[in-house]
Amino acid sequence: MSGGPASSPAAVTGVAVVSAFGRGTEALLDNATAGRPAFGPVTRFDVTGRRVGVAATLPGDPVLVDELAGVVDGACDDAGLTRSQRGDTPLLLAVHGDPGLARAGDDERPGRSAGAMAAGIAQRCGLSSTVRAYTSACVAASTAVADAGAMIARGHADRIVVAAGYLVEPDQFGLFDAGRALATDGQVRPFSTGRSGLLLGDGVAAVVLESGAAVRRPGGAAHAWLAGWGRAGDAYHVCRPDPAGAGMARAIGDALRRAGISASQVGYLNAHGSGTPHSDVAEAAAIRRALGDAEVPVSSTKSVVGQALEAAGLLEFIVTALALRRGELPVNAGFLGPDGDCPLDVITEQPRKTDARYAVSVNAAFGGANTALVVGAP
Amino acid sequence: MTAVDALRAGAEWPEPGDPAQPPPLAGFVVSAFSPMVAAVAERCLRRGYGAPGSPRRTAIVIASALGDVASAVHVAAAVDHGTRIGPLLFYQSVPNAVAGYLAARWHLTGPVVCTSPAGDELAEGLAVARLLIDDGDCDEALVVVAYGAGPDRARAVLVSAPEEDA
Repeated sequence: MSGGPASSPAAVTGVAVVSAFGRGTEALLDNATAGRPAFGPVTRFDVTGRRVGVAATLPGDPVLVDELAGVVDGACDDAGLTRSQRGDTPLLLAVHGDPGLARAGDDERPGRSAGAMAAGIAQRCGLSSTVRAYTSACVAASTAVADAGAMIARGHADRIVVAAGYLVEPDQFGLFDAGRALATDGQVRPFSTGRSGLLLGDGVAAVVLESGAAVRRPGGAAHAWLAGWGRAGDAYHVCRPDPAGAGMARAIGDALRRAGISASQVGYLNAHGSGTPHSDVAEAAAIRRALGDAEVPVSSTKSVVGQALEAAGLLEFIVTALALRRGELPVNAGFLGPDGDCPLDVITEQPRKTDARYAVSVNAAFGGANTALVVGAP
Repeated sequence: MTAVDALRAGAEWPEPGDPAQPPPLAGFVVSAFSPMVAAVAERCLRRGYGAPGSPRRTAIVIASALGDVASAVHVAAAVDHGTRIGPLLFYQSVPNAVAGYLAARWHLTGPVVCTSPAGDELAEGLAVARLLIDDGDCDEALVVVAYGAGPDRARAVLVSAPEEDA
């Protein structure tokens, strides 16, 4: 047994985000809620010869480190942190790596590690020199959030900034295309019949997490609470998920136990929902295994903004938190019809009103890595 | 008390008698990163557990400043020259993949976490492991550190909670 109730959930006091919908949380939340996808032809680099040429991207050619510094500053400002408070705040960063590493000379490489990138952003944004860079693929950001929650709950820190970023670029695009993972019809259709794969998308985000005591300062307020978290492995395959969903179900169960809630109290689940045929079936099995007969409304943010890889977990955590606060659950876009192998209550057509107090955000990655984050309404 | 105090087993690659390069690992191409991580991890797990057996709540933590640079360079060259990218590179492009190989072979059901330390790689890997153990998502953790861009060498340690915590 793991994941006893968290003695002190962490408050989400600052949020900033960049997605294909632009900079800011409102554009992301409005479009995610309505289920309006952001996919379009890739113009940022040459996709000649690729099977697929579609992604969810911002206009132009944004620079990852600049966008990361922007969201860290934005989240700290949103939380109302003083310069002094920033200086005491560690940074947990989730990235695939420095986009320039693969084309750097041997001498330049040590300065282009993800860890060095984290240290540089912390310095630029006036945070403390305590940094950690997570590179665990599609659970990198959600693992960082879980670790931040654990550090705060255990008194290792009063306040932590978690940031994450991925901007669609030609190398990962080429890899996903070679792996035949990209949707061939230009849409991501999680849990739907006729789904053909994922599409990549830009995502850069940051949150400030603080202890309950810290948030009680004058002017302090929480957008939401990180009430619980769980991390578990499949022990099944190099890259395929366990079709029985045992690892993900354990992660969800541990997160609920830490939050001290039952499955019946979960009012929404923001799924990993990649839109790939096998992954969605395994995830549906995991959700049923963890939540039993509780009919929890489900949707996937990737259906509108695509797969932001190492940043996906933070983007989806933010959408989950803001949707709960707004009381409106996002539509799962691209849905053509139910798949009998994915027996879930998928939110289609219209967003749903909710007064739920708790939601869960789930992520999975190669290597059988799974995470679940329980979000509590403010 | 630190996680180092609860060391169950340790291993390095290369150790005396080893070739500089680890043996090939089926399904992984182009780069020595995953084969070296697998080789040092296997050695450490054999010393700690003997042989694969029943599922264990053991996490896998891979700490490597640069990650799999050789694979990344290979893909970048293919992109720049317009040549074909091999499909195997798709999944080996992230360090999670070799962790998944180890987890499946040894039935390790704990979390998989990969980091790129800005400082001491082993110290960070142990700190990640200790947090996971203290937090209760695993009983033990295998920490693998790959040093350098080759990587040039690797080290693995298997750690558990100190006795007073167990």
